[in-house]
Amino acid sequence: MTSPLVSIRGLEKRFDLSGSLLEQITFEGGRFRRKQEAVHAINGVDLDVHKGEALCVVGESGCGKSTVARTVMGLLSPSAGEIHYDGQRIDNLERKDSLPFRRKMQMIFQNPYASLNPRMTIQQTLEEPIRFHHPDWSQSRIRDKIQEVMQSVGIDPDWGSRFGHEFSGGQRQRIAIARALAVDPEFIVADEPISALDVSIQAQVLNLLMDAQESRGLTYLFITHDLAVVEHFGTRVAVMYLGRVCELADTKTLFAAPRHPYTQALLSAIPKLEDDRPNHIRLKGEVPTPVNLPSGCVFHGRCPYVNERCRQEVPQLITTDSGTQVACHAVEEGRL
Amino acid sequence: MALLEVKDLDVRFAVRGGDLTALRGISFSLDKGERLGLVGESGAGKSVAAFSILNLIAQPGYIAGGQILFEGKDLAAMSERELRRIRGNRIAMIFQDPMMTLNPVLTIGTQMVESILAHRSISKKEARAIALDRLQKVQIPSPEKRLDQYPHELSGGMRQRVIIAIALLLDPEIIIADEPTTALDVTIQAEIMDLLLNLCEQENVALMLITHDLGVVSQVTQRMLVMYSGRIIEQGPTREIINDAQHPYTQGLINALPQMGEPGERLFQIPGSMPSLKNVPTGCPFHPRCNFATEQCKQSMPEYVRSGNVSVACYEVANLIEQEKRMQEAES
Repeated sequence: MTSPLVSIRGLEKRFDLSGSLLEQITFEGGRFRRKQEAVHAINGVDLDVHKGEALCVVGESGCGKSTVARTVMGLLSPSAGEIHYDGQRIDNLERKDSLPFRRKMQMIFQNPYASLNPRMTIQQTLEEPIRFHHPDWSQSRIRDKIQEVMQSVGIDPDWGSRFGHEFSGGQRQRIAIARALAVDPEFIVADEPISALDVSIQAQVLNLLMDAQESRGLTYLFITHDLAVVEHFGTRVAVMYLGRVCELADTKTLFAAPRHPYTQALLSAIPKLEDDRPNHIRLKGEVPTPVNLPSGCVFHGRCPYVNERCRQEVPQLITTDSGTQVACHAVEEGRL
Repeated sequence: MALLEVKDLDVRFAVRGGDLTALRGISFSLDKGERLGLVGESGAGKSVAAFSILNLIAQPGYIAGGQILFEGKDLAAMSERELRRIRGNRIAMIFQDPMMTLNPVLTIGTQMVESILAHRSISKKEARAIALDRLQKVQIPSPEKRLDQYPHELSGGMRQRVIIAIALLLDPEIIIADEPTTALDVTIQAEIMDLLLNLCEQENVALMLITHDLGVVSQVTQRMLVMYSGRIIEQGPTREIINDAQHPYTQGLINALPQMGEPGERLFQIPGSMPSLKNVPTGCPFHPRCNFATEQCKQSMPEYVRSGNVSVACYEVANLIEQEKRMQEAES
């Protein structure tokens, strides 16, 4: 296999909760103590994104999927670990050196109502990234480029002088996609790009993303909580739970034979059209807080197959016969 | 007689430059213990329909016509005082965001006792016992402890369970649930829906479930209405509509779901988007997005026709039924 386009190694991200030094100091039992707390958003994630594929990252709120997206894009700096793009490490670059990568990597956000500047016309919104990355382009070349991307996302180029609020949610998301495509990126990180949209509009935007992938040879890192979308759109799927990848597989394999107990529960919880009654695997308890991570396997508190080893030892991703990578002691020991 | 019967309901919003019609000619009924789904995309009017039943639509909205008969009495014509006896007591409501519905500065127990005492003259102690019983019914772990906790101490799923417990406090006949699980994760959503369904069955409570998720509707409800631009365009048994939708919009909605397409292939898409209330198209409001639209669709709103147990407002469907009838007559 060729080397991956983007590779994430041992990524960790903590968000400090405890504030400044003075706020950390508490008086307990007759002595001063320094107390530090952090949200452990990502705890050791390794992922490879291959050229031309759509790698979907799924999980429930708080599992760290958006943090992965933002860290890859350089919007957050990792607490530990490395991110490589096309073989070069990019997470520690100076601002100037990171510019070429910023052009190649673009992002689409969840809420098109918040991601478009309300005081800029569509023309200005689309012009800005082009001017920034191609300062030498002539006015007419920029105009042609804008025409081209607007047409490719199905927005009439004559609407350039309108403002974001004059468009519907689906149209705004198209404009946000056009903005990402304007600088001819190779790699697009899409963080829940369709969850704020209605069903009939979701289909339009998904089709658009697939068309763009085909015609421009794009690679996607697609963050979503909607498993039905993943099944349709994804080449491979990574399932995350509490900041760790618990299963990584080809989309087909994952949906046909989920191995990790969490993936199994997650898949069974999707309401299906052919069901007459809810019919899902019940998990006990709720997702623990990422401030105090459980010891051992992060899922052990809710897992029906838990044993002593799960409570002690963190499971590593192992590759099974079907090619699925799964981090579970029960699978490794053949109990599941 | 149906428990709740809505007849020809019109709801309008009085704004500068004339009224906007949010609901037009809405008619449906709900039997005792029945579970009814209201489906549609944002702007279809499903929440307005639910809110207008208890006259909860805020100014400048008002009920412009029609009747809402609950056990034969018209809720639309009732005084605020009379309505208050029904609201929360005989008809309870569950809203989308549990954090918005619970008062953040009162404990769960205080809020529950308060709503019981608003309708029943019993002692606080008795009210607390009822509250505890309902918390047990919604399977909250250590319910006694929860009574003295504040909403922020509970997780999202737990809060929605508390909301369901509050809805059940006074043994209502009907629960209206407006997107009760939209703010929750899939695994929590599955649990809450399961709970709501079981409770409604056990207590024989009728449920009106408003949602945009066709999967949820199919799992929970027996009958469903599909709304588009303030009208009901199709209604009937859930299974029949899901398996064999008649209206082009319902068909499009179902076919646009990713699970209906082959992985990696383009999805079926309905062009355009829902019209805003300010410029609803003439005739059938769906005609600008419809593949079957004819001149007739642009002129006038189609009447409801019956196809099996389903009633549909569409000229194309009416024509097909008409043709079929003629063919059968010709054969016999």
